[in-house]
Amino acid sequence: MSAETVAVEVAAAAASAAGLKAVGAGLAVGLAGIGSGLGEMGIGAAAMGAVAENKDMFGLALLFTVLPETIVIFGLVVALLLMFQ
Amino acid sequence: MFQPKPMSKLLIVASKQQLEPVITELYRLNIFHIDDYVEKGDEQWDGFKIGMPMKGADTISSSLVKIRSIASAFGIGSNQTDTVAKARIQELKRSIEQDLPTIAEEVEKLLSQRTKLEISAKEYEQRIEALKPFIDAPFPMELLRGYDSVSCLAGTVKGQVTITVPHEIWVNPLKTGAFITLAVKNTDLPAVERSLLDVQLQKAAIPEETGYAPAVIAEHEKKIAAINAEIETLTAKMGVIKEKHQHFLMSSEELLTSDIEQAEAPLRFATTDLAFAVVGWVPGDQVTKVYENLDRVCAGKVYVTELEIEDYNDGPPVEYNNPDFAHPSELFMDIYSRPKYTEVDPTLLMSIVYPIMFGLILGDVGYGAILLIMSLGLRSMVKGNEAGTQLINVLRNCSVSSIIFGVIFSEFLGFSLPWAPLWFSRHIPIGVATEGAVHHASAIPQLLVVSIWIGILHISLGRIWGALNASRMEHGHHKSLKMYANIGWILVMWGIIIMIWSKFPIMLMPDLTTMPELAGGLNIATIAGAIMLILGLAFIARENVLDLMEVPTIISHVLSYTRLIAVGLSSVAIALVTNFIAIGLIINPQLENLTPLGIVLIIVGVVVFLFGHTLNTALGILGGGLHPLRLHYVEFFTKFYRGGGKKYNPFGMIRKLTEQN
Repeated sequence: MSAETVAVEVAAAAASAAGLKAVGAGLAVGLAGIGSGLGEMGIGAAAMGAVAENKDMFGLALLFTVLPETIVIFGLVVALLLMFQ
Repeated sequence: MFQPKPMSKLLIVASKQQLEPVITELYRLNIFHIDDYVEKGDEQWDGFKIGMPMKGADTISSSLVKIRSIASAFGIGSNQTDTVAKARIQELKRSIEQDLPTIAEEVEKLLSQRTKLEISAKEYEQRIEALKPFIDAPFPMELLRGYDSVSCLAGTVKGQVTITVPHEIWVNPLKTGAFITLAVKNTDLPAVERSLLDVQLQKAAIPEETGYAPAVIAEHEKKIAAINAEIETLTAKMGVIKEKHQHFLMSSEELLTSDIEQAEAPLRFATTDLAFAVVGWVPGDQVTKVYENLDRVCAGKVYVTELEIEDYNDGPPVEYNNPDFAHPSELFMDIYSRPKYTEVDPTLLMSIVYPIMFGLILGDVGYGAILLIMSLGLRSMVKGNEAGTQLINVLRNCSVSSIIFGVIFSEFLGFSLPWAPLWFSRHIPIGVATEGAVHHASAIPQLLVVSIWIGILHISLGRIWGALNASRMEHGHHKSLKMYANIGWILVMWGIIIMIWSKFPIMLMPDLTTMPELAGGLNIATIAGAIMLILGLAFIARENVLDLMEVPTIISHVLSYTRLIAVGLSSVAIALVTNFIAIGLIINPQLENLTPLGIVLIIVGVVVFLFGHTLNTALGILGGGLHPLRLHYVEFFTKFYRGGGKKYNPFGMIRKLTEQN
């Protein structure tokens, strides 16, 4: 195998590694987003109902609604670490 | 600071002759929060009954209802009138007696006229609606009714109509199905109706009109126009009346509201046949003011004394006691829940930390400046609305912090400012290839560690305050259990952190991996961390074993603070991508070789640029506003905060339109 081919293959391997990193980052954010979306779906509907009944519930309702959204933040952090570390 | 205003509990007792002067004086002072008297059969209050409203309360309230109904018909609210001159109370009272009935009558007449006209306009509209299917009909409407042996019927059908009996039919094809008008003999009617059911006949009423449909419709439309013109003149007349009496209406509304509140105050007092007593709260530094003023108006014939507070947890109303710059943050506290009287009030800390977190997320001079201009511009729109003003002020503080962090991060709408970032850089290599773009190496892992540090400190403080609250609010054995549990949580958290430090060197954090090794590859730090962890778990379990299930949340809560950087970076990325698409991909290539088409493309590029940054500003407000709020509500408050305090609501009002008597 000539030195040239080796160099090309190494470059290709590096490129595909970078590509896989990007795919992984995308999956991390995307899947985590779907997860927290599913989680917030039910809570959000119930929270709306509670606030409609009693406006004082707003603070507590907001709190419960945003609870699952930590998951997507973790996804985002993992993606950032993949891309920039 | 970190404490609500100290309150004193006062008892006022006097004979019933002093009822009116006492109420008037308390109302004027506007500092006395009345504890409503409830008949519970307490021995202490044996023989006391809830008082009766003062004389004249019913006439005042009927005038007030009149004024409020007129005001709502005109759509005027208290914050719409500019204070020109404060009305004299005597004059106002006279004009309420003399002028109000005539104004009310006039307005009522106009209103009822307008309602009548509106109803008849509606009627004509309905008649037009009923006539519309017959617009193309080749027969006048009167031919459809008034027969003895023939019936007419109209309606929409779906599909082909086939009728076997003698009949006359007019079919007007529609998009789906058709509109038919049909005349048959009375004797055939039931059979025809049955057969029409197969094509889903939906009957329409035969209009009670005379003439061809288009002519009738035109006539009705003319009538509606005439009615609308009349309504216009009535509205104009009402506008004149509104203009003339607006100030009078609003000031008399204020006067009567204050009168009715005073007249009905005895409903909150405890009374006997000859005397009355009332318990309430006054800020500690104002007690002597109440003493002196009541003494003066009653010529000494009143007994005021300060009572001992038995239960601090469920007693004093809560009034915030914060420096001016922290007032806007009280909004966030009230949305969650007002603090209890005895607990730590975190408003001051929140007013400092919240804008810092906002700045960390949206640290950009450009966006900060946009938000600052927005908050200054919106100021006049929320005038008179307290919550709105607070929100705008929070936005202003946050935008200032955003500008400061923008200078530190060297960011302006995603572009780099002429200096390198003063602290860790958030610049991401997007659009680096673009000509003229400056790129600074990013330090994202470092920033993530900084955000984790913020989390560790914030949560530790929350737990320390938790212990403080327990020491203030709990009693006996439970008190020490709660305090130790809070210390336990701190120990567990720091134990885990120290153990991690002793195993893995992490940037910007102490490196404990080089500590002297003891046994089995464990160094001193690992063992110290493990001891702290176990001790902490024991403290937590002593209070409630089930709480041990919550231990993993320590890690998730601390890591949750990384959102400060993660959400911030997503907004940086959107800004960079917008710039790259608008300038790097659309505008720059055209500038090199200007053509007429190129100029159009440059305009498109500018539109993309504006759209992207508008979107990012909106997302920035949402992300930058909600995430720090969530960090406070979920990660911080759950460690110590209970809330549920009563709002301090003094008896009285701030007069805007009438003179103080």
